[in-house]
Amino acid sequence: MRAFALALVLVVALTLVVGVAALPPHGDPSGPVHTHVGAHYIEHGVRDTGLRNLVTAVLLNYRGFDTFLEVIVLFTALVAVLALPSATRPRRPGAPADDGGDRADAVPVSPVVFFVVRLLAPFIAVFALASLYRGHVTPGGGFQSAAIAGALMIALGLVFGRERAARLVPYGARAWLQALGPLGFALVAFLGWRLTGVFLGFPADEAAYALREAMVVSLEVGIAVGGAVVLAQLFMALDVRA
Amino acid sequence: MSAVFDAVMLLLLIATAVTVARARDLVAAVVTFGLYSLVLCLVWQHRGAPDVAITEAAVGAGVTSVLFLLTIAKTARTER
Repeated sequence: MRAFALALVLVVALTLVVGVAALPPHGDPSGPVHTHVGAHYIEHGVRDTGLRNLVTAVLLNYRGFDTFLEVIVLFTALVAVLALPSATRPRRPGAPADDGGDRADAVPVSPVVFFVVRLLAPFIAVFALASLYRGHVTPGGGFQSAAIAGALMIALGLVFGRERAARLVPYGARAWLQALGPLGFALVAFLGWRLTGVFLGFPADEAAYALREAMVVSLEVGIAVGGAVVLAQLFMALDVRA
Repeated sequence: MSAVFDAVMLLLLIATAVTVARARDLVAAVVTFGLYSLVLCLVWQHRGAPDVAITEAAVGAGVTSVLFLLTIAKTARTER
């Protein structure tokens, strides 16, 4: 059995090494990455989509359905976790906590961690906002912003206790915020259908610049807020009592 | 220089991955996995994908480590 496992590992490793060795050099202009659809995107991307950033053009336009389904996958993951019998569901603020005090669930953290999180939190928040705001023209975007903001909320939850961190997500709007990614995508997709006749289409002509920017930014905001809330709620669902 | 950097990073990735797979102490495995994500983050940055690097650092090294640690706190610390 051990010999078989070793042989299997060696065969797979050899296959991977041979495969990687056969890849064209990084940045080779004649590589299939640059001659296949990539060449079309680079040549026609700006005219096809009207977007100034080719990554955004691919992510939201050429591969818009992929991104839509990614957002749905993220939401489905949260639904699956919340469906677990052992998951901790968010409590209405003011509802009697079953453990007594407000900070009873805060794990005691070292003063160093406490200080560093408090010091860095505003900067991380600004970074998340900046990568959202500039995301569709520079590296960054909705998913990056969601990851940064979600990690920030989890860090705050670790330091201040999740009861207090949970207040970052308003209780009443919780369900809507969790679903903001798929909801925003669906709204923009139907709007695009109405305007261009194509589901998830964007008006590409120069005259529709403001409208197109608004649609793209709405998508990014939905992805960022929805994704961050999903990450934070995944953390909140894993309640641990000492 | 670039090739040396790549080689060192890839060796670190393999080393951390093997360490994660072999660790009996799951907390040690999670910490090493965070290190793996950090090295991978540097690789993405070096390969000119800063957006992927940001996500790798936040989700790979940050969020998943916390979720794994909480799961360990709820279950058991060592592999059986």
